[in-house]
Amino acid sequence: MKKIFSFVLLVSIVTLLSGCALGSSSSDHVITIYSDRHYDTDQAIYDTFEAETGIAVNVVKASADELINRLQTEGEDTEADLLMIADAGRLHKAKEAGLFQAVSSDTLVTNIPDNYRDSDNLWFGLTKRARVLVYHPDRVSVSELSTYEDLADPKWEGRIVVRSSANIYNQSLVASLIELNGEEPVETWISHLTSNFARDPEGNDRDQAKAVMAGEADIAIMNTYYMGKMANSADSYEVDVANDLAIFFPNQDTTGTHINVSGAGVTAYSDNVEDAIALIEYLSGEAAQFEFANANYEYPVNPAVEPSELLQSWGSFTEQQISLTQLGLHSNAAAIIMDEQGWK
Amino acid sequence: MKKWSAKFSIFTALTLITTVLVLLPFSNLFFNLFNKANDVWIHIRTFLLFDYIKNTVLLLVLTGIFSGLIGFFSAYVVTFYEFKYKKLLSWLLILPLALPSYIAAFIYADMFSYTGSFARLLRAVGIHHNFDMMSLLGAAVIFSFTLYPYVYMLVKAGLKKHNQTLTDSAKLLKASPFKRFRTLTLPLSRPALIGGILLVLLETLNDYGVVRYFGVRVFSYAIFDAWFRLGDLSSAIRLSAIVVIFVFIIVIIEKAFRGKKSYNILKGHKPLRLKHPTKTGRIIIYFFLISILLIGFFIPTIEMIFNLFTINFTLFSVDLIYTILNTLIISITATLIIIVIALAIANFGRFAKSKLAKGIVKLTTLGYSIPGAVIAVSVLLFFTKVDGFLYPLYELFDKDTKTLVLTTSLVMLTFAYVLRFLTIGFNTIDASYEKIGTTYTEASYTLQKSKLKTLFLVDIPLIKSGLIAAFIIVFIDIVKELPLTLILRPSNYNTLATTVFIYARDEMIQEASAPALILIIITVIPIYILTHQKRGKNHVR
Repeated sequence: MKKIFSFVLLVSIVTLLSGCALGSSSSDHVITIYSDRHYDTDQAIYDTFEAETGIAVNVVKASADELINRLQTEGEDTEADLLMIADAGRLHKAKEAGLFQAVSSDTLVTNIPDNYRDSDNLWFGLTKRARVLVYHPDRVSVSELSTYEDLADPKWEGRIVVRSSANIYNQSLVASLIELNGEEPVETWISHLTSNFARDPEGNDRDQAKAVMAGEADIAIMNTYYMGKMANSADSYEVDVANDLAIFFPNQDTTGTHINVSGAGVTAYSDNVEDAIALIEYLSGEAAQFEFANANYEYPVNPAVEPSELLQSWGSFTEQQISLTQLGLHSNAAAIIMDEQGWK
Repeated sequence: MKKWSAKFSIFTALTLITTVLVLLPFSNLFFNLFNKANDVWIHIRTFLLFDYIKNTVLLLVLTGIFSGLIGFFSAYVVTFYEFKYKKLLSWLLILPLALPSYIAAFIYADMFSYTGSFARLLRAVGIHHNFDMMSLLGAAVIFSFTLYPYVYMLVKAGLKKHNQTLTDSAKLLKASPFKRFRTLTLPLSRPALIGGILLVLLETLNDYGVVRYFGVRVFSYAIFDAWFRLGDLSSAIRLSAIVVIFVFIIVIIEKAFRGKKSYNILKGHKPLRLKHPTKTGRIIIYFFLISILLIGFFIPTIEMIFNLFTINFTLFSVDLIYTILNTLIISITATLIIIVIALAIANFGRFAKSKLAKGIVKLTTLGYSIPGAVIAVSVLLFFTKVDGFLYPLYELFDKDTKTLVLTTSLVMLTFAYVLRFLTIGFNTIDASYEKIGTTYTEASYTLQKSKLKTLFLVDIPLIKSGLIAAFIIVFIDIVKELPLTLILRPSNYNTLATTVFIYARDEMIQEASAPALILIIITVIPIYILTHQKRGKNHVR
């Protein structure tokens, strides 16, 4: 008993002091990527990348805010060569915090349309998601739907659900509308929108669709990505939800549907810049973009790659034509207006 | 006797070192308060703070009432009534302690959502009503059903001391059953009831998993929201300070409610005469106890087992095995450190007579009342400073060393665990010491045995069962711990708790089930051992 005890103690102390988590890999030619994406698809793409280039990819996963915070704390000490996170607003936050370095790459310029890249080439969008309206066809006819702005109309009283203002995708949607319409109109819009909410915001994107299905509301503002997830869920009841509800792309005749990206940038203190750029270039290339599109229900940023069949079945649409850098510039204003106007 | 306590011993040294280490991180917090208010703080104060306070108070009040009712009446029933399977039920009632509140929250939110099993069941029988689980009320219900065992255990231990003679006298005086309950049972168990509710409330304030998932804007949510979303650490610190004030208010209220009256309970009392309920009474008792158990433990557990079958999930992947090892190793290590320090402090405290020494003991063990979010903020700030301070030392070993050696290692997380859970280890060990008194130890000192020798040859054998209990209780708490682990862990270091939380956050409840079930198994086993070890009459805790 004593022996076992002292063995456990010894092992514990050694692990504790070395500070290394069990299971991390080590190789000579390796880059470290801080990622808030937790998809098997991503790992498969990294594996192919390693097979083709010999550069191993070590992924550190945590939520985007944690990763940004960690990079800030670590400063020059960081092992990270790349930061890859969802949402342009957050990418901008990382840029403002000085976490990225500028990259000049012709490949990236060719592969990624300029509004999905940072204006100073600090970060690059890699996959797109549209924030759309999901509605129940029995209770809403397409002719009633038009724009985000129209959701402030009294006819929608008690019929709209959306998740909380703490959610970054909502912040970015609001930021895009500030860019297009200006702060004051957006304030008025939110104050009317919140009075049309069917309930206080709660839950995640899927919960919004389920609330529409349950009859709590008629329209949910949510990401296309989660409709794809539900349509392919292991849970057959979720598949039913995705099939029974319909997707509407708002603002088709005006400013276009709101688009957000997952993107990546090379960290300011990377000691392996070349390999890091090679990975971003690879991720923006056709092979990786095809994988993103087909396995993960995201829209590719590379115009040469078609969206998946499921995504195409929702129809093609006009996208918001603003530079995503603007989302970051307005994101604080958006957060403040949402709190002020009572979007919980 | 003065001679021993006055002498500077290893116990004194360890106690003083711990005191300094506990106080430093919090002092950091305190000094940051005096910085000028920035825009983010003004924004929070204007638009959000009122909501945070309102929600926190409401959540605490509701959880306090619900958990108090459930815990008190379940303890009352198993103490005063005789019925079949009582023994089994009275230990099963502790089981919800093995189920972390956040896991219960994920599972219930899923079951009550439109596609969840409970909602489908309701629709199948024609009820088209949505129960809104992800709300403040839902959170209060979850906390009450998973945390009531604190009340249950304390009240049960209190009621056991009940004297049949008192009840008999009251009966002779023709007191009605209700009056006997109101004037006898309730006052006698009030300290235990209030003490239990205090523990529940501290756990509720500490929680981050449930409130984050449900989007209930209470303080631990607010602290992380200010820190991460609004990117302002100084606002997070201000919010933390307010939480600490909250905690003090709760502790003061507890002291007030507990009352100064002490009841002398006659020694050598008659054993309690148990009541035999009528048939209806039995049905009500079974219905009551079994409902608590189903809601607090079995329904979520069974749902998770079903989840395992709906997805093709390999129960034991390599990652999961590493996660289990991580969990066990860090929990055992931190627990051992806590036990050693707690032993030293208990030894220091039991011979100390001065107010200062008693104050030191109190200060050192205040961690449990401080919510994890606050400890996380303080410890992170503290360690980045320590690393900056130690940097020249690191350079001696390695010229290209990074600065944040400790901050990026498990030392920081272990430190935070010790800070938070030292209280629990200390209280359990201190209680055992109180039972044996100081005579044996003093006798050993008189025989010129050293302090350490006395500790190993005299004290430890005497309080062995107390030590085991302390080990188990602290171990369970660390295995379940979420907020500290989530924030302070090194890159890619996962415990079962963080794995479950991350799956749930990524909307993969089914995948969260395997690690969650393993976590529950790891906590159920020690609870079983703890409640079934032979310790005279005291079976539970």
